[in-house]
Amino acid sequence: MFLRSSRRRASAAAVGMLAVAMVAAACAGSSGGSGTKAGAGDVTKANTLIAYTGQAGDYQLNFNPYSPSLIGGPGTIFESLFFFNQVKDVAPAPLLGKSYTWNATGTVLTITTRSGVTWSDGKPFSAKDVAFTLDMLAANPAINTVGYAGHAKATDDTHVVVTFAKPSYMDGPQLLGKTFIVPQHIWSAIKVPATDTMAKPVGTGPYTLTDFKAQAFTLTANPKYWGGPPAVKAVRYLALAGNQSGADALGAGQIDWQTGPVPDLAKVEKTYPGYKAITVPLNQMALFTCSNAALGCTGPQTDPAVRKAIYYGMDRTQLNALAFQGTASDMSPGLALMPRDQAYVSADLKEKLAPSSPQADKAKALLEGAGWVKGADGIYAKNGKPLAMTVKVVTGWTDYITAVDTMGQQLKAIGIKITAAQVSWNEWADARGQGHFELLIDSLNGGPSADPYYLNAYFLSSLNTAKVGKTANPNYARFSDPKVDAALAALKSIDPTKTQDRKVQLGIIQTQVEENMPYIPILTGGTTSEFHSAKFDGWPSKDDLYAFPAVWSRPDDAQIYKHLKPTGK
Amino acid sequence: MRYYGRKLAFYAVALWAAVTLNFFIPRLLPGNPVDILMAKLQQRGGSIDPSVRRTYELLLGSNSRESLWSQYVAYLGNTVHGNLGTSVSAFPAKVSDVIAQSLPWTIVLVGIATVISFVLGIVLGIVVGWRRGSWLDSLVPATTVLAAVPYFWLALILVALLSSTLHLFPIMGGYDVYFTPGLNWEFLRSAGYYGVLPALTIVVSSVGGWLLGMRNMMVSTTSEDYILTAEAKGLRPRRIMMRYAARNAVLPSVAGFAISLGFVVSGAIVTEQVFSYPGIGSKLLQAVQNNDYALMQGIFLVITVAVLGANLLVDLLYGIIDPRTRADS
Repeated sequence: MFLRSSRRRASAAAVGMLAVAMVAAACAGSSGGSGTKAGAGDVTKANTLIAYTGQAGDYQLNFNPYSPSLIGGPGTIFESLFFFNQVKDVAPAPLLGKSYTWNATGTVLTITTRSGVTWSDGKPFSAKDVAFTLDMLAANPAINTVGYAGHAKATDDTHVVVTFAKPSYMDGPQLLGKTFIVPQHIWSAIKVPATDTMAKPVGTGPYTLTDFKAQAFTLTANPKYWGGPPAVKAVRYLALAGNQSGADALGAGQIDWQTGPVPDLAKVEKTYPGYKAITVPLNQMALFTCSNAALGCTGPQTDPAVRKAIYYGMDRTQLNALAFQGTASDMSPGLALMPRDQAYVSADLKEKLAPSSPQADKAKALLEGAGWVKGADGIYAKNGKPLAMTVKVVTGWTDYITAVDTMGQQLKAIGIKITAAQVSWNEWADARGQGHFELLIDSLNGGPSADPYYLNAYFLSSLNTAKVGKTANPNYARFSDPKVDAALAALKSIDPTKTQDRKVQLGIIQTQVEENMPYIPILTGGTTSEFHSAKFDGWPSKDDLYAFPAVWSRPDDAQIYKHLKPTGK
Repeated sequence: MRYYGRKLAFYAVALWAAVTLNFFIPRLLPGNPVDILMAKLQQRGGSIDPSVRRTYELLLGSNSRESLWSQYVAYLGNTVHGNLGTSVSAFPAKVSDVIAQSLPWTIVLVGIATVISFVLGIVLGIVVGWRRGSWLDSLVPATTVLAAVPYFWLALILVALLSSTLHLFPIMGGYDVYFTPGLNWEFLRSAGYYGVLPALTIVVSSVGGWLLGMRNMMVSTTSEDYILTAEAKGLRPRRIMMRYAARNAVLPSVAGFAISLGFVVSGAIVTEQVFSYPGIGSKLLQAVQNNDYALMQGIFLVITVAVLGANLLVDLLYGIIDPRTRADS
């Protein structure tokens, strides 16, 4: 290898990078070598995309779309019925499904599936495979990650009818968009689908697995793909040694796409010639509070006035500049994702967006109204106890640590003392689940589609919480409000097309959340990805956000691969 | 024979104690595998739907109501049968497979590095000890400084110099991913090439210890009467140095070497982390970060057995080499 790479280095002097030469050798090898598959022979360096998903250390072979430790496959090898865009509220794109309809009560879902599709082993795909997949989920609770609870029946080769016991409109996106259809003729022979690692995955997707090694694997365009084989002929996934290496590999031109911040984001195009960056707001960063004294929370943050005072005490412009490189954006106190859920923001909210500069007078009025008295040291106190809390933050999450430290100084000015407590990830996750925290910094994630319902249902429903000491899943703030619970229940039985009715219910949730503030809004966090724009055209942009452009986001990545066109450079 | 019987009994008890500690220590860690898995998946855009957590609890069996005692008994039984369980962090791979995959990397890399370091240290130690008082003595502080420098820093400096700047060696990894691991010439050559820099860092940082020990033993051996006798007989200095002084001086180092061979399997966690080397050390780190009890126990077990085995071997060999050690039995 030493001789090879130095010879290559001389020939690739124009590029001048050893790393590039090594990757070039690797790519040329995988296409020109003995691993060439019939019909995929036209794989070249120019139409191979090299992706880095943040894999630290070796890949462990696992292409089972229902395994938590899978390394790839959903979207690329296995397809769902539809693709739901989680960053833009648009109609779902048909994949294996052509259309679907709900009955009037939301208990029967009829799906028309695509005809003329074949599995990558040549066998024909039919609606029976869909029914089989759903039945398999129902029969194996250990892989039912979508919470499927219906009865499926394939009425003919292109129609599946799914019946639910109760109105299940909100289960639609999970079922249609996140359930990856597997071939009956292979999976019916698998005894325990949860633990099979699918060394030779057979799917309907645009790519098939052609090469696997512990430090890299390659997906090659499926010549039999129903939509025609994609222009990106191969996608190669590399394993590196963590985030720092990702930035290094990007600098060396070793990878075409990665997700994660790099130093000096504003100058990406200058630092990495041929590359561009995109930042998409998706995660709402918040101070999670253990808010509910009735469920065992203790500390000053159980007082809503304290939570709201913190909300008013933050200088979000400064936080964005110091901790997040300016990539964060506005956040709604009603937890509707901005700007995606703009249409759902309630008119009854007192503030449409969390204030960008501190409002000391409002914080003061709130605290004093709740009986807090400022002490000689400038910190409020009540019954002899100072208004001081700790914020748990994971060691090494530098942006969050900076944010909490900055916040500490900002809040000191309004008489609240918060201190960062850095703990290991394990300890932090444990504390978050069990409620052993006063405040912690984390972000709120949405669900399978561009609908604020999911975030609300996950983080605010009483069904998903537990007493302190028991694991909350994932209503970590232990928020419990009968009005919110009623609205969430109502949303389940409202037809998603009746936007006006849904807005009323979502509005109730938003105003209750603003009033109680169990998750104190900070800013909406941007997910930044860097991609090789000189090598491929058609990346998602702010104007054309056809999928969430994070390399680890499945099945969004498959949509992007299908959309890209090699420029030939 | 009683001497050996007693030794074996002692090692059996030590093994049981170590195995028991292996079981309890990982369970003192905060957190549980499901929470960690959920938190990690969430970082990567995974669904946080409550049903996801429920399926993972079922899958990983972490909601078992079994008491610690019955878990312990089952663990002892499984360990005896060589069944180390299923790894959570590499689910659904078996722990024994994960270890079998990563152990050869570590044994070859750290093993060869340890042997090189030992041989180099001993040879240099002999020469420096023999010519004490000469300029060669400056080798002692020079190598000790290298040993005292924090290892990760030394490694990073070498990477920056030899890999990033001079492009002599790859920055990280165990082999060029272009080749398929196996017994083929190209892969072995690639693995050898990738191993040079990590091995070099290990040798540079550990050679000082061997050198110092050997040199000091040489100094005290050369003042023995039989060295004087040998010199009086008019033997060649080289023969005196090698056959008379070094042979006797090397004994304690050999014992130390045998024990350090036992530690080879524990790998060099920092080395493997710096170079993202696919060995057992990086797997141990992965296990700890993911609350992967089964994998931690498996790796600890392998380390324990290797260290105890090496010690036992040294003990038994010493009994043969030096009858004085079993004198009072």
